Amino acid sequence: MKKNIKALVVRTAGINCDIETVHALTAVGAAADLAHTNEITLGKCKILDYDILVFPGGFSYGDDIAGGKIWSVHMAKVFEDIKKFINSGRPVMGICNGFQVLTKLGFLPERKDYKQTASLTFNDSGVFIDKWVKLKVNKNSPCIFTKNIGEIIELPIAHGEGKIIIEDKQILENIVKQNAIALTYVDNPNGSVLDIAGLCNAKGNCFGLMPHPERYAFEQQHPSWTRKEMENVKAAGLQIFKNAVDYL
Amino acid sequence: MEDILKSFNSMTGRQLFELQADCGWSLSEAEMLAAQKYFKSINRAPLYAELETIAQTWSEHCKHKTFNGPVEFVKDGKKEFIKDGLFKTTIYKATKKLNKKWCLSVFKDNAGVIEFGKNKKWALAFKAETHNHPCAVEPYGGAETGVGGVIRDILGVGLGAKPVVNTDIFCFADPKYSKKLPQAALHPARIFKGVVDGVRDYGNRMGIPTASGGIWFDDRFALNPLVFVGTIGIMPTWAIEKHVKPGDLVIAIGGRTGRDGLHGATFSSANIEDASEVSAVQIGHAINEKKVLDALLKLRDKKLYRAVTDCGAGGFSSAVGELGSETGVRVDLSKAILKESKIKPWEIWVSESQERMILAVPPKNLKEVEKILKSENCEYCVLGEFTNTERLEVFYDKEKIVDLKNDFLHGGVPRVVKNAVWNTPKFKPSAVKEQKNYGALLNKCLSNLNTCSRESVIRQYDHEVQGGTVVKPLQGITHDGPGDATVIWPASATNDLKDYNGFAVTHGLNPAIGKLDPYQMALNCIDEVFRNLVCVGADINKVAVLDNFCWGSPENPALMGELVLCARGCYDGALTYGAPFISGKDSFYNQSKGADGKDVAVPSTILISAVAPVYDVRKAVTMDFKEAGSGVYLVGATKDDMGGSVAAEELGLVNVAPPQVDGETALKAYKKIYESIQRGLVNAAHDISQGGLSASLAEMSFSGGYGAEIDLKKVPVSGKLKDFQILFSESASRIILEVPSEKEEVFKKLMKGVKIARIGQTSFVPALKIKGLSGKEIVNEKLLKLKSSWQHAGGWPA
Repeated sequence: MKKNIKALVVRTAGINCDIETVHALTAVGAAADLAHTNEITLGKCKILDYDILVFPGGFSYGDDIAGGKIWSVHMAKVFEDIKKFINSGRPVMGICNGFQVLTKLGFLPERKDYKQTASLTFNDSGVFIDKWVKLKVNKNSPCIFTKNIGEIIELPIAHGEGKIIIEDKQILENIVKQNAIALTYVDNPNGSVLDIAGLCNAKGNCFGLMPHPERYAFEQQHPSWTRKEMENVKAAGLQIFKNAVDYL
Repeated sequence: MEDILKSFNSMTGRQLFELQADCGWSLSEAEMLAAQKYFKSINRAPLYAELETIAQTWSEHCKHKTFNGPVEFVKDGKKEFIKDGLFKTTIYKATKKLNKKWCLSVFKDNAGVIEFGKNKKWALAFKAETHNHPCAVEPYGGAETGVGGVIRDILGVGLGAKPVVNTDIFCFADPKYSKKLPQAALHPARIFKGVVDGVRDYGNRMGIPTASGGIWFDDRFALNPLVFVGTIGIMPTWAIEKHVKPGDLVIAIGGRTGRDGLHGATFSSANIEDASEVSAVQIGHAINEKKVLDALLKLRDKKLYRAVTDCGAGGFSSAVGELGSETGVRVDLSKAILKESKIKPWEIWVSESQERMILAVPPKNLKEVEKILKSENCEYCVLGEFTNTERLEVFYDKEKIVDLKNDFLHGGVPRVVKNAVWNTPKFKPSAVKEQKNYGALLNKCLSNLNTCSRESVIRQYDHEVQGGTVVKPLQGITHDGPGDATVIWPASATNDLKDYNGFAVTHGLNPAIGKLDPYQMALNCIDEVFRNLVCVGADINKVAVLDNFCWGSPENPALMGELVLCARGCYDGALTYGAPFISGKDSFYNQSKGADGKDVAVPSTILISAVAPVYDVRKAVTMDFKEAGSGVYLVGATKDDMGGSVAAEELGLVNVAPPQVDGETALKAYKKIYESIQRGLVNAAHDISQGGLSASLAEMSFSGGYGAEIDLKKVPVSGKLKDFQILFSESASRIILEVPSEKEEVFKKLMKGVKIARIGQTSFVPALKIKGLSGKEIVNEKLLKLKSSWQHAGGWPA
C-alpha cells in the first residue's frame, strides 16, 4: 500500500455520506480530511494540496431548487482549482449529490467549454429509492476507478433525483465512443438515458456515479452477506476507492 | 386581556376554567385554582405570559399527570386505590427493582441512556415519541416535525449524542377505507401517504437511516392515526451528565422563532386578542436541523458548553425553564432571531418553531462557540444568562413578562385522582370446520394488511446512510424478506473500523391483543421484542425497553382500566424478562367524533421499543433459509391462541382467547438460542407472529429461495389442537430455526431442557409442503405464489 496519499472529502450543510466516505478512503490507506465548503471558498482549505478529491452524497442545502444546484454554485467559486486538479490527472469522484455537482459544473460529460450538458433529475417512479442494484462494468472505459472489479458488481442506490438526461445526441454519441460510460444499470431503476449509472472524462480520472461505493466498503454492508453465495464475494465499493489510491 | 387578568385573583373556579378554555391551555379547574392561589400569595395579578408558561409546564405532555396521579381502580367489582400512581408502581418500579448497572441515565433526561460497546467508552441513548395529533391534521408536516423533534431529544440528551438510526411505527386505517368520515377528516390513504412522505423527507435529509419500524392497520385508527418516531444515538460516556452553572449564557441555536406551532390544534387566538389566525402545526426544515447536528457535535467534542436541551413542546418556555429549574434564569426575548416581525413577546416565549436548541455556555467560551456556529452557517442568539435566584425571569427588552418561582412552576401542579374500571371478559375455544387444504387461507393470511410486505415504504427511506445497517429491514436472496430486527454497526459515531460492536433494535405492538386483554398485550409485546432480538443474535441478557402508551381519554374509566392492566403487564414483563424500561412517553386523548357524532377512541395501544447489544455484528443471523437439507426446528409450544390472530380476523372468529405469555419458560429457551447462534450453529432464525407457524415458514422459504417439508405431527402442542390451530395460532414465545445437517447433533445437545422439535427440513424444491395430523398433505404451495400473495396485497397508496 502506498503511503502519504491525502484525500479531501468536501461537505456542506445537508451532506450526509461524508463520514462513511472518509472511512472507505481510510480503509484503503489514504489520509482523508473532511472540509466544509465554507473553508474551501474562503481559502482556508486548498483543494490543490490534496491527491484525491471526493464530493460525497447527501442533500446539500436540502437540494432546494434542484439536486446539487446550490452546492455547485458555491463550488463554482473554486472552479479553476477543480479544473487544475482534474487536468493534473488526480482522481476526482462525485458520488450521488457529488455527481450532480460535477454535472452542474460542466465537468461531466467532459467538454472543452465546460458547459453543462447533462442533468440528474427526478426518478421515473417519482419517489426516493434505496435499493441494491446490479451494475455492468464497461471493460473498455478509461475510468481508473472501475478496474479489477469484475463485469457485474452490486452497489446500493439511494436517491430521488438520479435519472440522467443528456438531450444532445452528439454528446451522447461522443460519450459512448469515448467509453465514458463506465457503469450501466442492468435493470434501470430511475429512467436514466442509456442506463447510465456512472460517467467519467476521457482520461478516466474524473468519475461521477449515482450508486454509493462507500456503502459497500465492508462485506457486512451487503444485504445478503449472511448467505452462502456471498462467502467469497469482496466488497466492490472498496475496490473503487482502492483503485484511486493505487493509481497515484 | 389585561383587564381580565387584573381580576384573575378574584375569579371563581368556573370563571377560571372558562378563561383557560378560551386561551386553549388545557388546564383543569383545580390547576387554575392552584395558579390563582400562588398569585394571591404573592399579592399580584398574573401576567399573561406567566399563565402561558404555567399551561405549558403543567400540560399532560410535560407533566404526565395521568401516569403520575393516583388511580381508583375497580377490577371485577373489587376496589383498590393506587396512591402512588401508575408510573411509580409499574414502569419506574420495575427499572428500580432490576437495578441494572448498565443503565446509565434513566427517566431523568431527554432519553434513556445505557452502556454501549467495551471499555465503558460509549453510551447509547434511545427515545421514542409520538406525533399523533399533528399527523391527523397535517400528516406531512406532523410526521416531519415528529421526526425532527425526537432527533433533537437525542441531540439534547446529556451533552448530546450522535443519531445513528431512526425508527418509525404507524397505526392507520385500511387505505381502502370506505365508511363515511366527518367533514374535516382526511382519508386514511392520504394520512398514510403524507406521514410516509414526511418521515422520508426529513429522515433522509438528516442523514440518519430510518431502518426499523412497522405499520399496523385497524379501522379504528381512521380519525386518529398513531405515528411513533424514535431515534438512537451514540455518545461518549463523559457526555452523559449536564450541569448548568449560574453565569452561563443562554444561547439558542438553529431555527428562527415564528408563530408556527402555537398551542396546537385547539388554539384560537381570535378569542383572546383578535389577532389573525395562527398555524397549529409547526413547519419543519431538515437542513436547519442538520446544521444544528453538525455544529452541536463539534461544540460538544470541544467541551464548549455545560448543558443542552431541545426546544420541543412549549418552545423556549419549556427548554429554558427546564435548564434553569435548579439555578434560576433570566432571558430577554428581544434578542431572539425571528421569522417575522408581527410576533408578540409571549408568542416568542411559547412558539414551537422547529430546529432550535438551547445551550448553557460559559462566557469565556462564547467567542469559540460563535466561530464554530458561523463556520457551519448555524444561526444563534444569546438570550440571557443562568442565575442563582431560583426564579424564572423573562423580559422583552425592559419589560418583565414572566417572574415565577421555580418550586411553584415545577412542583405546584395539583394531583388529580383518575377512575379506572376493568371487567375480565370470558373467552371460548376456537372452533372451525377442518379443511382438506389450507393453501388458500395461508395465502390470504400472507396478504392480510397486518402481515404483508412493507417494501414499498421501506425503500423510500434511506435505511443505509452512515453505512452501518448490517442487518437490514429487508433480507434474503433477493433482498426483500421481512427481517425480525435491524442490526446497526455505529462506526459512523465511534470512527473505529476495528470495533465490531453493534446493537439490534426492534419493536412489539399488537392492538388486536389489546382489545381482548391489555395485560397480555404488554406481555406479548415484550415477548415479541425478545423473539426478534434473539433471532438476529443480540444478547437477550441485556435488553432495554421503552414504552409508548397511546390511549383515548383518561377521563373514561373503562379506558383507564385498560391502562392499569397494560401498565401492570409492563411491570410483570420487565421483571420476568429482566428488561428495564429506560424511557417512555404517553399520549392521551387520541379520540375524535365520527361522522355519526359519537366519540371514537383509538384501540388502546402500547408500543414496546427495544435495543440489545450485538458484540460482533459479523455473527448476526437473518431469517431466510440458507440451504437445502437443513433441519427445521420449532422452539416453544403451540396452543389454541387464536384471539387477535390474522386467521381469526380472516375467518371472523370472535371471543377467542389471546396468547397467554409464559415468560420464564420463554426466556430459558431464548438464552439457549442465543448461545447456539453465538456458536455458529444456526443458519436462519425467524419468530412466529402474524399468520402463525405457516406464515413464518412461508416467509423463511420465499426469502431464502429454498422450500420446506413440514410435518405437523412433530409440532409440540399444549392442549387438543387441530391442523387449523397448529398452522395459524399466534401463540407467543415460538421461534423457527434452520440448523445445517452437520450441526444438528451439537445443536440438539445444547438445546436440552427446552421445548423444541425438528418439524421438517429445507429442500431444493421451491414449495412449502405441510403434512397434517392425519398424515395427508394439507399445504403444497409454490414459493413464487406465496411471495406474490405477501407482496401484492392491494390497498397501498401509490
